[in-house]
Amino acid sequence: MKPGPSLVVSQTEGTPMAPSALAIETSELTKRYRRGRVTALSNCSVTVPEGRISALIGPNGAGKTTLLRLLCGLAEPTSGTASVLDQTPRQEPAFLSEVGFLAQEMPLYRRMTAEAHIRICARLNSRWDGDLVRTRLRGLDVPLDRPVGTLSGGQRSQVALALVLGKRPRLLLLDEPVAALDPLARRHFLQTLTAAVAEAEGALTVVLSSHLVTDLERVCDHLILLAASQVQLCGDADDLLASHKVLVGPNKDTTPLEQAHTVVQRTTAGRQSTLLVRLTGPLADPGYQAEDVSLEDLVLGYMSATTPAYADLKAVGE
Amino acid sequence: MTYLVWRQYRLQWAIALALLAAIAVVEVIDGLHMASAWHSLQVACGTTAPTAGQGGGCLSQSIVSVVGNDFRILSVLVPAVLGILWGAPLIAHEMETGTTSFAWTQGTTRTRWLVAKVGYLMLAAVIWAGAASALVTWWSGPENAQRGDQFQSNYFNTQGIVPVGYAVVAMALGITAGVLIRRTVPAIAVTLAGYVALRAWFAEQIQFHLLPAVTTYTSLASTWSPGGISIGQGATVINAAGQNVGGSQFSTALYMPNGNPVATSYVPAACHQFLPSPIPPGGGNASPSLVSCLSKAGFRNVFSYQPGSRYWEFQGLETGIYVLMAAILLAVAFYAIRRRDA
Repeated sequence: MKPGPSLVVSQTEGTPMAPSALAIETSELTKRYRRGRVTALSNCSVTVPEGRISALIGPNGAGKTTLLRLLCGLAEPTSGTASVLDQTPRQEPAFLSEVGFLAQEMPLYRRMTAEAHIRICARLNSRWDGDLVRTRLRGLDVPLDRPVGTLSGGQRSQVALALVLGKRPRLLLLDEPVAALDPLARRHFLQTLTAAVAEAEGALTVVLSSHLVTDLERVCDHLILLAASQVQLCGDADDLLASHKVLVGPNKDTTPLEQAHTVVQRTTAGRQSTLLVRLTGPLADPGYQAEDVSLEDLVLGYMSATTPAYADLKAVGE
Repeated sequence: MTYLVWRQYRLQWAIALALLAAIAVVEVIDGLHMASAWHSLQVACGTTAPTAGQGGGCLSQSIVSVVGNDFRILSVLVPAVLGILWGAPLIAHEMETGTTSFAWTQGTTRTRWLVAKVGYLMLAAVIWAGAASALVTWWSGPENAQRGDQFQSNYFNTQGIVPVGYAVVAMALGITAGVLIRRTVPAIAVTLAGYVALRAWFAEQIQFHLLPAVTTYTSLASTWSPGGISIGQGATVINAAGQNVGGSQFSTALYMPNGNPVATSYVPAACHQFLPSPIPPGGGNASPSLVSCLSKAGFRNVFSYQPGSRYWEFQGLETGIYVLMAAILLAVAFYAIRRRDA
């Protein structure tokens, strides 16, 4: 698969103040499985500033889970480096107690109650706040005394989230946390999450993955787009939106346009062209009508430029 | 950590304890019955000889156990069952359900997590197997006394300390198979096959060969035979040239006072006059004159064996080897867990 256009917006763009500290900084992070035959993640360089809620978006198999597992120390990179809260992810309490990870299937011991989980975590974590977990779950009417296997999917996800928040981590990594939830449970889950981030007052950074940006649009202020095992976009959500436009105009030679800007994606219908463009300065050509993009447009544009399946999907949609 | 293991395994421990209690009740009742039968037999025979061999024929009458050998077989299964039901799922089940990613991202190391799980399970295996073995050892007391031979595999392998070694290695095999295979059912299959193969191979090739066998020569006229277990050529007769003249593949055999056969084809010409005439088709007991003629010709009994006095030495050696194997298996499991991506 040939690499698509790649763009990494500096985290300081649009914020002339001193750059905030980085919760995550990776450099050329690469992970291969099966003795190098399968590349799950290729030369991934991303940064996430502290205190952000970052959406890690990408189609299934893009490497989202691999990246999250590398960041929390569950997997070792084949090459490249990762700095998470100024530490290299590793199997040490000093690192593990700072980072919370929630796997996609939200694994819990199904026969045990939430209360049992709280007590187990209390013995495994140095900064544990069990009362916080109990208060939060009681507030959501999640029973603490029933085996978690008997709870609904939404309740179970709340237990898993409350437990990982009980560690009082500085970084929370959530792998497809809302994928299996119904819309209401999804909303409740994200409400709990945003409330926790607000309470932490900048001391909690969250990265949550999804294959749909619409799931996370409302809560995230930072975006990482992975496709075909590579980073396509990484940066502040508002900056990314401001720097991209959809241009609609006659189907003509785009060479002059491309000298100044980057055409991410091009759709042609008859004599009319629709271009997704990353602007690197003011738009000079008055022949195009410029429209603002939504996060979803942006994500789909980049995805379809790299993933044939998404290009087809987009074509069908139009 | 202790709390996690306790929460995960308290049900299994309760079940195991209940099973052990049930076995104990049966064995104690049956054991008391056998002990009193043995005592009655000693009284009836008018002897307090500790073993049947010393009491002459009288003490050899059977003392009936109600549960019999089935119970012995059952206790042989204990370690395999432990390894399969506890050991194999220990890690494999967590990997299958993904709870490793819960456990391995708490504020503790994988090594500590594994030490706790493996440590408590190993301890449980030792307690379980030790208790089962102690029960069987006590229960077998009268039978052991009567037989005077604890090397026979059903007896040696179910008593003393070797069952603890078996349980430890079965558990370690189960845990390591689970770590490497990551799936419970295949891990169980590998544990079962591996354990059975290991035990069979060990019993066949290693078990009583750990120490060099004792070789004893006796006169043909002697009725002595050693206790313990025969090894290598076992009990037979050799001629002056050291050639094995026992066995009866090529001709009929005549039996010496201690029961060893001598093939008639090996009887030297000088002793032919003492052969029965005609030689009965199935052979028969050698006449004293034939025995003395063969002795003069240099024939003698040879015994190659492990003496019964080495019982505890063998128990200790075998247990040690199994514990060492378990340690190696667990080292592999620890290495794999530390290196594994989850």
